[in-house]
Amino acid sequence: MSVDWPRLGELMLAHLRLSLWALLLGAAISLPLGVAAARRPALERAALAVASVIQTIPGLALLAIMVPALAALGAFGLELPSIGALPAVLGLTLYSLLPMLRNTVVGIAEVDESVKRAALGVGMTPGQRLRRVELPLAAPVIVAGLRTATVWTVGMATLATPVGASSLGDLIFGGLQTRDHGAVLAGCLGSAALALALDGLIRAAELGARTRRPRLWAPAAAALGALCLYALASPLAGLAGGERPLRVGAKPFTEQYVLAELVAQRAGAPTEVMRSLGSNVAFEALAAGDLDLYVEYTGTVWTALMGREDRAPREALNAEVEAWLRDEHDVVVVARLGFENAYALAVRSPEDGGPRITRISELAPLAPSMEVGGDYELFGRGEWRSLEERYGLRFEAQRTMDPTLLYEAIDAGQVDVIGAYTTDGRVAAYDLRVLEDDRDAIPPYDAVLIANGAFARGRPALIARLRTLEGRIDDDAMRAMNRAVDVDGETPARAAARHR
Amino acid sequence: MADLIELDRLVVRFGDVTAVDGVSLTVREGELLMLLGGSGSGKTTTLECINALVTPTEGVVRLRGEDVRSLPPHALRRRIGYCFQGVGLFPHLTVAENVGITPELLGWDEARVRARVEALLARVALPIEEYGDRLPDALSGGQRQRVGVARALAAEPEVVLFDEPFGALDPITREQLQAELRTLKEDLGLTSVFVTHDVLEALTLGDRIAVLREGRLLQVGTPPELAEAPADPYVTALLEAPRRALDRLS
Repeated sequence: MSVDWPRLGELMLAHLRLSLWALLLGAAISLPLGVAAARRPALERAALAVASVIQTIPGLALLAIMVPALAALGAFGLELPSIGALPAVLGLTLYSLLPMLRNTVVGIAEVDESVKRAALGVGMTPGQRLRRVELPLAAPVIVAGLRTATVWTVGMATLATPVGASSLGDLIFGGLQTRDHGAVLAGCLGSAALALALDGLIRAAELGARTRRPRLWAPAAAALGALCLYALASPLAGLAGGERPLRVGAKPFTEQYVLAELVAQRAGAPTEVMRSLGSNVAFEALAAGDLDLYVEYTGTVWTALMGREDRAPREALNAEVEAWLRDEHDVVVVARLGFENAYALAVRSPEDGGPRITRISELAPLAPSMEVGGDYELFGRGEWRSLEERYGLRFEAQRTMDPTLLYEAIDAGQVDVIGAYTTDGRVAAYDLRVLEDDRDAIPPYDAVLIANGAFARGRPALIARLRTLEGRIDDDAMRAMNRAVDVDGETPARAAARHR
Repeated sequence: MADLIELDRLVVRFGDVTAVDGVSLTVREGELLMLLGGSGSGKTTTLECINALVTPTEGVVRLRGEDVRSLPPHALRRRIGYCFQGVGLFPHLTVAENVGITPELLGWDEARVRARVEALLARVALPIEEYGDRLPDALSGGQRQRVGVARALAAEPEVVLFDEPFGALDPITREQLQAELRTLKEDLGLTSVFVTHDVLEALTLGDRIAVLREGRLLQVGTPPELAEAPADPYVTALLEAPRRALDRLS
């Protein structure tokens, strides 16, 4: 558990850039809007209602929603990167609006009536009254709103990771996945330190200005100005257009991290690995051309993307998936990697107090007194309905939790059955027993490297290199790499490099 | 004396309420005209028509013969001093900055603003060396009102409007400020309009008194004129009040 200082520094800067971009955009929207709304009750009600509704959307959902929203703009001829910094900054910007907007409106409204009258009486224009009287007097309240927005935004920016923007969230999400608690802690502390530092600078600048102490506000304001300039000097659009590196996506679990590194190493071209893209985010980004490559599973395409609930034999299903990807989304299957990572039901082994069964059909009679744990997707997927129908499975309780916690939960006896991945290194590490799907409820999950069609046609040499991955990784090889990361604490890149 | 301000058949309605109902009145150069009336008499609304804080529904206000609506409101207000009961000192500005605000808005150079502020603060007994850099919070009520008077006078206005400026002060302080105002007026040849509900204040300060009731102007005249020939029973009753109070002292 050692701290990777250069990476921490890099991520802190990336985190700072995202946060400041969002705060500056948020301020640029909410301050003028707040000033306008302070004089127009109808506008005030409308603006505050919208901002409040935005605030009620869970942060992760708000950021994730920006991905399809940006992709949808493509339909109107507006081609914007739908993953990476842009959706993250837009989501964070929306989130930052409420405190700044509300405090601007309230701050101006609360300026003493006699002072407003005097401002007109001494001959100020409405603009002068605003600049010389109302804004200075509302400043402490407005700045308090800015500080609230700052702390929220810096904290929320950790959620930029799942939409493909680097932030301290990389340490948290990655660390949770690979059980690197040091990384999780570093991510949290880094984010807290940034929030406190920015908050302190703003407070010092405001206090110094209000009490007319230049030695307090000047350095604080200079530091804030320099940070903002630094953030703005790294334009969001930098990720779009121009000669950009190869972009390989990875969904938020270890195997995907390892495979993304492996693809990057095999590609032999400058590569950016975009880790921790949520499951559907990755596919939408690939179809939209924001990602070039990532590894998908045929069963996931079949059930989650195509919405199929029926079953087909492996070869027929894989062929149908391939045709659907090509025809509906211009997505090409570059290589079938040679292993399968299916959903499976796993129980503790009999030595650890688990049931003496090997097949799912034997589980059905025991289920009513058992609790089952699944990741965020499991209980909503077609396979789960299919399992319930074909085996008549009814559990006492279903519990959804983060995949990283599933294994701890079953190990500690908090659940009796979990939805596991067949290649997960922890199945063996925790000595779990994977139950046989004896009634074919779960489709095949062959791992396939898929590419955006236009990208594939434009880089034939690169695609040819990647095709050499065909059939090169079997179940055992994948399980070994996963285990190296999850259990032995290797980095995904090193685990991938060892595979030849 | 020439007419500086002319109110010509002013009517002000707020929705169904008629606050000012056909008031015609002139303010002569160099005089202190009192607008006297109870609450709801329309005296404040009438005053605020002069500096365009209120726009009359009907009728015209003329400043030196010119319809005040022909000027941008802020330009008009820089020619008219304004001092009211709440004072409305800017709490984030020092005493000196408060007093100098209108000259500054008019673009006077710094030295001229400074000299003017210094002279006015001296006039209202708040020497700039001691009080200039204080914030309004650090002043007493009477001192704040003095700063308000100084601010109203700062830009050498053609007329100063007072809206019950001393209403919230204790009687001793009030009397002191009334005396100071009287002196200021004599020294500077000030033209002013002064709203009050206090008959004694009107009699003490005013060159002429306009009595208002329910938005109508009942009578205008010097104090002796009102006393000798009251035009309305209300005026008679109003002037009786201080007399009765005096009788109880003797």
